[in-house]
Amino acid sequence: MNNLKTTKLNKIIDKVVSNIYLLMTLISASFMLIIIIFILFKGLSPFMSNYQYGVVNFLDFLFGTQYRPDMGIYGVGFIIINTLVSALLALSIAFPISVLTALFVVKIAPQRLSEFMKVVIDLLASIPSIVYGVFAAGIITKFTMTIASMLGVQTYGGTSLLSVVILLAIMIFPTITSISISSISSVSEDLQHASLALGATKVQTNFKVVLLSAKQGIFAGAILGVGRAFGEATAVSMVAGNKMFGPTFGLFNTTRTLTSTMIAGLKETSGLDYDIRFSIGLVLLIIILITNFGLNFIKNKVGKTHEKN
Amino acid sequence: MNKLFSVSDVNLSYGDKHVLKDINIDLYKNKVTAFIGPSGCGKSTFLRCFNRMNDLIDSCKIDGTILMENKDIYNKKYDVVDLRTNVGMVFQKPNPFMMSIYENVAYGLKCSGIKDKKVLKQRVINALKQAALYDEVSTRLNDSALSLSGGQQQRLCIARAIAMKPEVILMDEPTSALDPIATAKIEELIEELKKDFTIIIVTHSMHQASRISDYTAFFLNGEIVEYDITKNIFQNPKDIRCENYITGRFG
Ligand SMILES: Nc1ncnc2c1ncn2[C@@H]1O[C@H](COP(=O)(O)OP(=O)(O)OP(=O)(O)O)[C@@H](O)[C@H]1O
Ligand SMILES: [Mg+2]
Repeated sequence: MNNLKTTKLNKIIDKVVSNIYLLMTLISASFMLIIIIFILFKGLSPFMSNYQYGVVNFLDFLFGTQYRPDMGIYGVGFIIINTLVSALLALSIAFPISVLTALFVVKIAPQRLSEFMKVVIDLLASIPSIVYGVFAAGIITKFTMTIASMLGVQTYGGTSLLSVVILLAIMIFPTITSISISSISSVSEDLQHASLALGATKVQTNFKVVLLSAKQGIFAGAILGVGRAFGEATAVSMVAGNKMFGPTFGLFNTTRTLTSTMIAGLKETSGLDYDIRFSIGLVLLIIILITNFGLNFIKNKVGKTHEKN
Repeated sequence: MNKLFSVSDVNLSYGDKHVLKDINIDLYKNKVTAFIGPSGCGKSTFLRCFNRMNDLIDSCKIDGTILMENKDIYNKKYDVVDLRTNVGMVFQKPNPFMMSIYENVAYGLKCSGIKDKKVLKQRVINALKQAALYDEVSTRLNDSALSLSGGQQQRLCIARAIAMKPEVILMDEPTSALDPIATAKIEELIEELKKDFTIIIVTHSMHQASRISDYTAFFLNGEIVEYDITKNIFQNPKDIRCENYITGRFG
């Protein structure tokens, strides 16, 4: 009797709890939806014929090589390229360093050093952007200036693509490393033993089996990292130099990214110059989506890993 | 009869825990030797001595000598990588790599420096054939190894080991995670393989030990209590503890 009652009660509790989960999901999903609709609406409005502050041509916006709000020219084509260049360069520097660091922390470093490094990396990941920004403006720009003057190149006080890339690489390093660490730690011992028992060296085992098996997590880290690189505004705008035209490929030239454009003078503006930032936000979202697809594609190519299917 | 391994006075401990005690045993070439005994008596530990997998355990300390063809495999000059290419191992749980069937078998070969595509392919195919798996996978060598059934995965692991052309294959309860049909297949395979390899197998199945092995060693609490031709062990055990274990009256 009693038993029957408790099962009934448990069933009710189950139902209530699962409904609460559903509700939570719906709430967060609808927040997402509201945000997206709002950005879409705001972001597309400057291209509509009934826009009150003067219509912007969509193609000029998307492919333009000048961004001169003072002259009413809003072209973000070069900014898109700059953003891709800086984020992908940062990723290509940070990714190998992060993965090797993670491998070192998990597989090679003595226990104590490894624990210490994990703490440091988690700390680094939680430092607010503005702190990185101040550091970049104070130190990285100096470093860039030194390098530039050694090469006999002029910079604008060190604000340059190189500074942005270094800054972003430093900022995304802890993210990728930290996720790679947890993913490498969870590679089963069995696989490593199997590899060693076949006469593979530790190095071969680490690179061919451990990294391959941790691939899923490592690429998740890369995607989060590049997301952070694309999305970073505060710190980047302190060292980018906000060039008005482009694109910028020279490492010592000033540059401009989508986020630094969105944030520049945001508080003192209105009308088209304000609304256009939503359009830029839309562009940024789309770029991040495409990059994620790209990284996923690369992931499936690398080592042609075979997941359970 | 040819001696392959000659083990004398081996003692092994994990930290303070004395796990193998004064082990003396000779193992013979091209024979199947089974290690049996209750759980925790040190069978796996002893098996791992032959390819020095115990080296990976920090707390593990080993004394005594293990000669393989008269060379001390614990000698500093003996290269562990060489040892492990010569002494393959199959584990309790099938553990294929997250790679294709082909790449799994080619893995050890590639690590040992073989690059020639033709040679690789030939050795992979031969190994798969020898492991009685080729017919089942010949059309999907590039599929994931994880798409195979448990029994197929275990035969893949055997193929992976024999691709290296080792002298010895160590097997630690290779069928304990498999169903009876897959187990029967592996047992059949072992009979086939002993023509070319020396096999040392740990098993909890008396039936398996008596059916496939030529020699059997009975372990108890880290000691070898009895070691003889399998037939003698099962039909005419000398030690009462061994008899009790075999007949299921143990403990
Ligand atoms: N890595 C290790 N560290 C410490 N002790 C260990 C380790 N591996 C095994 N042992 C201990 O050594 C003893 C022998 O273990 P072993 O795995 O060799 O037994 P086994 O005979 O293979 O048992 P089973 O039949 O259950 O597999 C056990 O008491 C076990 O707890
Ligand atoms: Mg065991």
